[in-house]
Amino acid sequence: MQKREKTFSYKKCAIVCLLIVAPLLLAFAALAMGRFPLSLQTVFQVLAAKISGAVPIDLQTEKVIWGIRLPRILLAMLVGAGLAVSGLAFQNLFSNPLATPDTLGVASGASFGAVLALLFGLNLLWVQLLALIGGVLAVSLTYSVSANRDRGSITTVVLAGLIIGSLFTALVSLVKYVADAESQLPSIVYWLMGSLSSANYRMLLLGAPLILIGIIVLLLLRWRLNLLPLTEDEARSAGVNISHLRLLTVISATMITASCVSMCGQVGWVGLLVPHMCRMLFGGNNQKLVPACISLGAMLMLIVDTMARTVSAGEIPVSILTAIIGAPVFIVLLRRTGGWSL
Amino acid sequence: MIFSVENGCFDYDKKRQDDFLLQNINFSFGPGELIAVLGPNGAGKTTLLRCMMGLLPWRQGATLLDGENIRHIPYNMLWRRIAYVPQAKNPLGMFTVEELVLLGRSSHFSLLRQPSAQDKEIASDCLRRLHIQHLAGRNCRQISGGELQMALIARALAAQPEVLILDEPESNLDFKNQLVVLDAMSELAEQGIACVFNTHYPAHAMQRADKALLLDKQGRYRFGLTGEIINEDNIKEAFGVEAVIGEIETKHRVYRDILPVSVLQLDLEPPAGRHADNEEKKGEAHMEKEISEERSRETRVAIVGAIVENREAAEKINELLHEYAPYIIGRMGMPYEKKDVSIICVVVDAPEEITAALSGKLGRLSGVNIKTTYSRI
Repeated sequence: MQKREKTFSYKKCAIVCLLIVAPLLLAFAALAMGRFPLSLQTVFQVLAAKISGAVPIDLQTEKVIWGIRLPRILLAMLVGAGLAVSGLAFQNLFSNPLATPDTLGVASGASFGAVLALLFGLNLLWVQLLALIGGVLAVSLTYSVSANRDRGSITTVVLAGLIIGSLFTALVSLVKYVADAESQLPSIVYWLMGSLSSANYRMLLLGAPLILIGIIVLLLLRWRLNLLPLTEDEARSAGVNISHLRLLTVISATMITASCVSMCGQVGWVGLLVPHMCRMLFGGNNQKLVPACISLGAMLMLIVDTMARTVSAGEIPVSILTAIIGAPVFIVLLRRTGGWSL
Repeated sequence: MIFSVENGCFDYDKKRQDDFLLQNINFSFGPGELIAVLGPNGAGKTTLLRCMMGLLPWRQGATLLDGENIRHIPYNMLWRRIAYVPQAKNPLGMFTVEELVLLGRSSHFSLLRQPSAQDKEIASDCLRRLHIQHLAGRNCRQISGGELQMALIARALAAQPEVLILDEPESNLDFKNQLVVLDAMSELAEQGIACVFNTHYPAHAMQRADKALLLDKQGRYRFGLTGEIINEDNIKEAFGVEAVIGEIETKHRVYRDILPVSVLQLDLEPPAGRHADNEEKKGEAHMEKEISEERSRETRVAIVGAIVENREAAEKINELLHEYAPYIIGRMGMPYEKKDVSIICVVVDAPEEITAALSGKLGRLSGVNIKTTYSRI
């Protein structure tokens, strides 16, 4: 018996290490890949030189790695982790396996806020702020439309999300219609398709804290998220102020989504795909799921974005790739494990 | 610990100012008591349970825990002392039993903390206490209804409560699982945890509960010793069913059981009549009470004989007998070492309900076989 427990904890250790190390290794590999291929050795040398403050070997290589690829990779990982974890939070909050930032209309709401800011030519801070307001507005609308006595069935929630989502999509279209066709429209359209190509450190500095705070709060709440899908009576009798917990969760998840949307547009699928992949791999306990989602979300987004910038000569919008990769992977997982459930 | 409800009134219709669904409910109980809440469908059993734990607000009156209104006790403090076991209706497939039980520890640490090793130890203790440790790693969706109900009881126990409130814990279960759940409740009550459960089975209340609360659709209720509350007249009035209460004898002991015989043909009451005939019914209830007092003065001589196989039960038996001392007119105890059993014989002169309560309590102790013989006088 003792022995079994011991091997079990070895296995647990190995998984934890893998979840931490794998994204880092992947990021390291991604630094080497691109239109301008580099060897892993060069990447290592450049990074080592930069960190130790030594004289750079080659200025151009350094610029490619440090100035272009690294911020983009960081952004990809941050957005992937954030969207995955907020998807997980929303699924628990609505006790609904189909709830994600996309299906709840949060992403559309945030998009509307962001697009509005772009229309008026406001800076990134405003884009973020308006995106956050739009997101909160959308999620509260969806919640109030779908909330009934038994906390909304799966279909009601998804339908409510669909309605609110299309409302905000219509508003986004309105903004596009009003926007100047020469200068503003292309940037809005391209932004909406989702791209990480504009990543730079200034942008990261503005957007990353919100995502990081959201992720950390959800990471701390990870065990408590298990209480959210319980019935009202059960949740209250757990001895936790359940409305505080809900509010904290919804604000963190919306903050993450809005911040991601404002930095790289609407990237779909991650919030649905990653939590379910993790659930199939690690079971239903959110205490394990939150860290797993962070790691797997970061990896998935990193892979997708690396593909987006390497597969063809031009950039492929990320949201197109996530859908193309996401749908079949999801179908395979679904078939193999025989369905999803919360 | 004293848990009491004082003057509790509740109605779902917020405009109603009097004549509530639950009207002036008063009762209280202490540690280790097993309380059954009975009543026909729609009488408000579940509502009563939800009100008494504060999940629904009383319109008037209050629930008191050691004299303090539970609305003034902070969340986490309150739910360390009382725990709620919902019906095993919708299983959450996402958890293993172990994880589900651990959720019961929620009230013991702050919001941003994770459960500690000690919490996990307590959770697995609860599984062992209910003899379901073999379920620990199983998924909640893959276990049977009875097993899930036990897991939910374990979750409530994990909070280490003084009061356990169970919503129809044994409904929707088969014979065996009903027994498993009922045995678990009796065992917990014996360990000092007060258990309140509502049930559709008066027989379960008779065989297990110390006290019973019988609700009827007119918003009236009766509360008292199970033997006094569950009788043919009260059942008839509350459920509208003619029933007989009898005894089933096995080799080891006598069980009280109830058999519904026929549905009474009632005149349909006009809906508005609820208030009108309330006064009258109250008067009736008053009369009923007098009769029951009259009846309780009528005592009968009875012999309660027990064969005790378990030595540890001896102390509990002595405690119980001490409690009933005023009624006992003679007793004899004799060890029989050859077979390692003790034979106890108690002669009582008491009202029938009291004798039934005593033999019921004795019979629930493990390793005690009991039989009661009543005289005709």
